[in-house]
Amino acid sequence: MRFFATVLLHTGRNLLLTWKSQLMSFFTVMLSVLIFAFFYLTYANAVHVGTEMGNDLRLVVYLDEDPPPSLQDEYRRRILKFDQVERIEFVGSKEAFDRFSKQLGSDSDVLSGVPDDFLPPSIEVYPQRSLDSLARIKRFSDYLETLPGVLKVQYGKEWIDHFHAFIQLMRIVITLSGFLLVITSTFMVAYTIRLSLFSRRKELELLRLVGATTNYIRMPFLLEGALMGLCGSAAGLFALYLLYHWIKLQFAGPALFNLVPFTFLSWPVIIAIVVAATLLCAIGSFRSTRSIQHL
Amino acid sequence: MVQELPPPPIIELIKVSKFYPPDVEALSDISFAISKGEIVYLTGMSGAGKTTLMRLVSRMEKESKGMLDVAGFDLSKLNHRNIHLLRRKVGVAYQDFKLLTDRTVADNIAISMEVVYEKKSVIEERVKNLLEQLNLSKKYDTLTEELSRGEQQRVSIARAVANNPEILLADEPTGNLDAENTARVMSLFYQLNRQGCTLLIATHDKSLYRGGGRRVMELRGGRLLSAGAAPAEHGAAAAMEA
Repeated sequence: MRFFATVLLHTGRNLLLTWKSQLMSFFTVMLSVLIFAFFYLTYANAVHVGTEMGNDLRLVVYLDEDPPPSLQDEYRRRILKFDQVERIEFVGSKEAFDRFSKQLGSDSDVLSGVPDDFLPPSIEVYPQRSLDSLARIKRFSDYLETLPGVLKVQYGKEWIDHFHAFIQLMRIVITLSGFLLVITSTFMVAYTIRLSLFSRRKELELLRLVGATTNYIRMPFLLEGALMGLCGSAAGLFALYLLYHWIKLQFAGPALFNLVPFTFLSWPVIIAIVVAATLLCAIGSFRSTRSIQHL
Repeated sequence: MVQELPPPPIIELIKVSKFYPPDVEALSDISFAISKGEIVYLTGMSGAGKTTLMRLVSRMEKESKGMLDVAGFDLSKLNHRNIHLLRRKVGVAYQDFKLLTDRTVADNIAISMEVVYEKKSVIEERVKNLLEQLNLSKKYDTLTEELSRGEQQRVSIARAVANNPEILLADEPTGNLDAENTARVMSLFYQLNRQGCTLLIATHDKSLYRGGGRRVMELRGGRLLSAGAAPAEHGAAAAMEA
């Protein structure tokens, strides 16, 4: 118990002595966490939107003629060979005509005199829902076009390509901002602690001379680093929360978020970010305090 | 007839030498043993190697050659991880005081007790007691940078003895003190010695050991000239000890 009281006392003394550089580190960690968490929030919501849209995702494979049951089985076998799908539906020319007529409703009389087999038969493929479904759809489409008797494959090609590119870009940005978080947290904290060590070198040497253990000297610095990570990340996430609310308020008018879901980070993600930042800062601090052993 | 064995030495040096690059020999083949509870004076001119010897015994520096055994620790085998075990048994009053000038007198003395997790109330009581003995009671909350050299020296001594060490190394402990404060410091040392502490005092001041009947070792040019006892006279030292 006395050990922890002593550690807290020395940590407080360290913070008071080097509060300017501590504040710099705090803001650096806060900013890094804010940047990383902002991109992660954008990515998580984009993926969520993608999943929602992916629920209605289907590929329509137009055929040159109605396939007999044996050929339908062959198509089904080949499709399943390429990828897992949720379901496969065959739509004959007549069924397509009926659907079209239903869609036209009261205007369906425009179809009078038109042969009921003028629309091509098709296969509707519903890919399995997953985060990668948008990314896989293009490859699936390319494969389906190679099947015999296929005239054309249709899906929301353009928006899916753009969305896929956006998700890829977000992944790169998140990786880079995560890297920035690691670098700033470990190095900035390491240098701050080194500065703190340097400014108190005389005292640390004296502590060693009067019989202090390495842990006695090191623990306050480790705690100092961990505190910087904890407070910096908590402040960064709080700033992001405020920003999130501001964005929601700004776009409340057009009711954009009624159509597209926009949610804040979940508690497990928040805790993971705080724990990671705290650990990184403690590691940075640990790196700096290794020299204490040789005092 | 059963012969009583002498107490085992608490400080033992066998053929210890210390070299500094490129070719300075600070100490050469020093051998002596100090028994538990002894008071030993180390004399010699400036540059004779007194401080170097003190630094070796407290393991602030490592010997170049020879064997040192202090408080049961073989210093040649003592690694950095365990050095605190030795330092908690050896109190050192440094010639350059090594005080934290931005801290109060009380903080400077308490530091050696804080590292062994002593209770706050015990620390406060001990600090007050030591300050009273050394005539520094009024300086409890004074920053050490505001003290005179003599006062700083006494604070350094108080810190060295605060933890009741088994061995006390004092390097010129009265160099900046007047007669009255010298007597106070020596009185504190003798009191500590009566409680079983072994004292090794490096000094130029002959009045400290003359006539005290204590062992005096003389260093000259890094060599130990004598390790015998001073003649037992009724001099100033004997009076102070009494």
